[in-house]
Amino acid sequence: MSDIQQYLLDYDRSKKDASVTAEASATRLQNRELKLLSFIQELGEYLVSEDGAMRAKTMAYLAEVLSFVPQKVLSLQQRNLLCDFIVSRFEDSEGLGSCAKALIALEELGKWEDERAVMITESLLNNTHPLRQYKSASERYAVLRLLDKMMANYRDVLRNLQENTPGFLSRFIAYFDGEKDPRNLMMVFSILRAPMAEWNISADAQELFEAVFNYFPIAYRPPSNDVYGITVQDLKDRLRDCISATPDFAPYAIPALLDKLDTPMVNAKRDALTAITSVASEYGPRTMALYSITLWDALKFEVLNVQEESLAEEALNALAAIARTLSQGTNGPLQAYLRPIAKECNEHLEDAPTKQSQASARFLKAIANVSPEVTNIVFPNVLPNLLVLYQNADTTSKRRGLLEVFVQLVRADIDVYGSWRSLGTADQSLANALTEYKDQALDVMLNGLNSAPIKEVSFRLVCLDGLLQMSKARQLLSDNQIGEIIQLLHSIVIHEESYGKDEVKEAAINGLVEIAHQKPEIVIHKAFPAFLAELPDKDEDGSKAYVPVLEAFAKLASEEQMFGTVILRVKNKFSAAVKQGATPTYLVALLSALLYALTQGESRLQQDPESSTYFQDIVLPLLQRAASSDSTHPAAFDNETTLDLVGRICNLIVRPLNLEQHDKVAVELYTLFTGSSQSALPPFQVDSTSEQGKTLIVSTHVLASLRKEATLPVDLQVLISSLVDYSQIPSLSPVVRSASLRQLSLICNKFIPASSLKSSINQLLHDPGELFSLEKLDSLRIRIIFAILKGVVPRNSPFLSTIYPEVLAFLSHPQYGKTIAHGFTTLLQPDDLLTKVNHCQISGLHKQKSFALLVPNITAIFSESSAETKPNCLIALSGILKWMPFDIVVEEVERLVPLLLQSLDLSGEDLVKEAAIDLLLSVLREKPKVIEEYIGSLISRLLNNSTTTATRRTVGSSNLTAAPLPPPKVRTAALKCLTLVPDKLRHETVLPYRRQVTKRLTFALDDRKREVRGQAVKCRRAWLDVDEVDDDE
Amino acid sequence: MDRSKDNANPTILNASDLPSRRRELSAKKRDDGGTGLFDGLVPAYNYLNDPFDGPLSSSDSDDDSFEDIDEQEIYDLIAPISDPEHPLSLAELAVVNLPDIHVEPPTSPQSSISTVVVEITPTITHCSLATVIGLGVRVRLEQALPPRFRVDVRVKKGAHNTDDAVNKQLRDKERVAAALENGTLMGVIRKMLSTCE
Repeated sequence: MSDIQQYLLDYDRSKKDASVTAEASATRLQNRELKLLSFIQELGEYLVSEDGAMRAKTMAYLAEVLSFVPQKVLSLQQRNLLCDFIVSRFEDSEGLGSCAKALIALEELGKWEDERAVMITESLLNNTHPLRQYKSASERYAVLRLLDKMMANYRDVLRNLQENTPGFLSRFIAYFDGEKDPRNLMMVFSILRAPMAEWNISADAQELFEAVFNYFPIAYRPPSNDVYGITVQDLKDRLRDCISATPDFAPYAIPALLDKLDTPMVNAKRDALTAITSVASEYGPRTMALYSITLWDALKFEVLNVQEESLAEEALNALAAIARTLSQGTNGPLQAYLRPIAKECNEHLEDAPTKQSQASARFLKAIANVSPEVTNIVFPNVLPNLLVLYQNADTTSKRRGLLEVFVQLVRADIDVYGSWRSLGTADQSLANALTEYKDQALDVMLNGLNSAPIKEVSFRLVCLDGLLQMSKARQLLSDNQIGEIIQLLHSIVIHEESYGKDEVKEAAINGLVEIAHQKPEIVIHKAFPAFLAELPDKDEDGSKAYVPVLEAFAKLASEEQMFGTVILRVKNKFSAAVKQGATPTYLVALLSALLYALTQGESRLQQDPESSTYFQDIVLPLLQRAASSDSTHPAAFDNETTLDLVGRICNLIVRPLNLEQHDKVAVELYTLFTGSSQSALPPFQVDSTSEQGKTLIVSTHVLASLRKEATLPVDLQVLISSLVDYSQIPSLSPVVRSASLRQLSLICNKFIPASSLKSSINQLLHDPGELFSLEKLDSLRIRIIFAILKGVVPRNSPFLSTIYPEVLAFLSHPQYGKTIAHGFTTLLQPDDLLTKVNHCQISGLHKQKSFALLVPNITAIFSESSAETKPNCLIALSGILKWMPFDIVVEEVERLVPLLLQSLDLSGEDLVKEAAIDLLLSVLREKPKVIEEYIGSLISRLLNNSTTTATRRTVGSSNLTAAPLPPPKVRTAALKCLTLVPDKLRHETVLPYRRQVTKRLTFALDDRKREVRGQAVKCRRAWLDVDEVDDDE
Repeated sequence: MDRSKDNANPTILNASDLPSRRRELSAKKRDDGGTGLFDGLVPAYNYLNDPFDGPLSSSDSDDDSFEDIDEQEIYDLIAPISDPEHPLSLAELAVVNLPDIHVEPPTSPQSSISTVVVEITPTITHCSLATVIGLGVRVRLEQALPPRFRVDVRVKKGAHNTDDAVNKQLRDKERVAAALENGTLMGVIRKMLSTCE
């Protein structure tokens, strides 16, 4: 059987087999086993067949064979012969697609001469015009691909052909008429794009434009089985490229697009607006000059009367694009375009603040930031009028409206001319167009901010913003003028009395930080002395005026060039305050400021820790002061909050140091560089004074900062057992006990090597530590157990699988079961000391592991245990789930929901309830299906936790409700969860409960807490809307 | 464009100038004049939250105190309703104003019925949508207040050409009920209320 016979046989059965045959033929051609002549002759018989399908398949064979033939197998002459042969097949109405494919394959084997390209194009147009007569979209696609290739590779040839052949272009355009297939349309747009952009189309411009614009606006939804992956956006983009391809289209495109703006359909409108934007950017200044004013007159309504925000934004883009294009041309047309805009905006400004004056601000901002040419025209046309209107304005709200416009213009100015630290779009040598008005504007706003009554919050905020923007604008204000602004801002921070939400003060601080970014030296020069003058060495009168100053000061540290100065000044102030015997409150404020500043600049601490002097200058004196026991010990350092802050500051500075330095610090971990003997100090000396005990607060933070390779001052086991003993002293203050327990956690996490972890912990829990001994269990020992576990859990040790069951067994302990249950919440609770930056071992999967080891066990214990133990299981479960990311919980959620619902019945365990409701909320959000079968019990429990059914109270009478309600936080959470129910569950599931819920909720509307009432309002609305959904459908 | 608007260019209030409760609250909370910048430095759960100590609850100690429904609360309920003509809230357009809201306590000690009076100010005196706005405010309050409140919504005296006629419509229970049966009207009102959070 010959190849062609085989191919024809396989063709309908399996395309793949057929391809194999074609490939084999190609290989034979290549190996000269098959002569081209005989290959063609074999086809002859089938090409004269009566059966059209047979002829088409034969051509498909030819095309496929050619596509497999490698380069240089066929000679030029052979290729020409083949080409002529294939072209002659155009006359056959069958197999056109394969002809096109064959030609594409041939072309890839060697480029055609110009005449040949012309011949192919001509005969294609002569024989197959119009293309739509071929019903198969994929056949047309092959032809379109051929033409696209010709357009790409024979661009000049085809252009010459068009120029020398009258009527060619119009025939060419009509050839594609009526194409509807999206894949083919993508091709058509791409083919037509070339003549649009490059050919001389003057006479046929309208026809060409209409050929593509007929498809506007594109409303196409890809079928669900779409294989080509063409999106509606692809089509829109390509069509838009066509529309904006040549300015010759302008007389047709612009009226047609403006016409589309009148449609009520938002999508069509948006397409028209984006098309206008791209047209405005592509048609060039000469063409746009003709249409700019017409476009302004039409586009402005989209902004003045916003139908939809996205349309307004697109209209502004279009207006800006026109301005950008016109800026490239001569000044006249740009003037002609901008004048009416400025005029109209000026008119709207007269009655600011209105909707239209806000629109004016948007116009001006959109247009002014385009180019320096535009600012040079817009500013002189708008600003003098704006300033006059401001002077004559009779209300503050009008002044505010006007300044809002001004601020927009300054922002635009910064976009064009840049700020002190970054360049704008304009040439640097150009003078800032705002210069002429800066003095007057500065006056107006300084005056406005300074003298307006403090209750004019929004007006003063606008003034402040304006000043801030002006101070940023490149080469605009002099250093003196910026100094004036800074002075005003810091006097607001320091002297102004507090009002309302203190928005102005906050804006002033943030403003200072922003100016500090641009002009650090002026801020240091102007604001720092003023701030420092406000910070006393000693606070005698109990005034807390220093707090806002310290806040502002600390915030400035976030600015790179301020960091060092701020730290230095605060530190000096602190030393002075300590010497003068200032109160703990003041010292805490200073330390807080220092800590805040250090946190802001943490990255700077890490950059070059070795050469920094902060350890010498800050850490050493602080530690020595904290630990000293003689007369130099400041009273303020007995305050636990002070010591905690000291510890945190030291932690930040010590953390990035190298191991060698860590070793030096570690030796002094408990003596804190005081030279006293370690064994006389806690935790080694159980009878130490309570003042000495407090140094543990500091050493905890220092311990946290050390690398795990650092050498501890005593043997590990001695340290651990000392801490265990120390933690059990009944008289410890809660903070010191907590510090000592946290040291245990840190040591278990960092310093016990993995190899000895199991034995060390076992020694503690069983022998000789006996922490797990049932007889000796008490609440202090339980704390120690959980402190140890807390350190081990993040290490993800395999050892956990043996400890966890032992701890879970205690849940049924008659006396301490509940305490144990509560302990579980500590295990995964986020901790600010056990972190990776503190060199702790935190495994990424430790939460998963604990979840897998604990949750199934707890559910199992729950189902087997007595009524007394069940609540303990629920408490423990909630403690674990509380800190678990939802995507871990989601795996088990089906089994957990019933337990969560039962947690809502516990009395007195409000935190447990809150956590359960939170989790149910997430389940509702992510996996509502799971909850559907429990809807009845969910709704009734949520209602019971949020409302009473008792008689409603009357005003003035005492409230004697029957059952005590959970606290407001739980009530609010329950209502929040209930709000989500109608939204997430199916309508028919929810509907039966509507009446009951809306009725019960009227009691929640009368809750005594405002927060609860607010949530009840939302919840009731969601439920009231339930049956109204039906009306819409 | 859609139907022409009665007032195409209304005056707009800025959000920071609207009365709000937070203002008094935060002023009360911080007596040191700071903004609370340093409050977050030491995480609260470190020392305060020791789960081992006795029965723990998230209850704030002043749960027993009452926070009565006051004018500001009514204002907060109706301020975010959007205007049927503009994508702006009734508060931004100064259609509802805090001084024009009154909560009247029960008239006799035996009665538990309080009355809420809200006077609305249309943006212009010939606003054809005053009734719809009034109705919207009424629907919102009836949904959001407990049943012991009577709601009385009126147009402020002198703020509308035909304020008496509008008020009559808003006060007539049967007409209000009939209006709420009207699907188109309810559609408009639902859209107005959709911005209430």
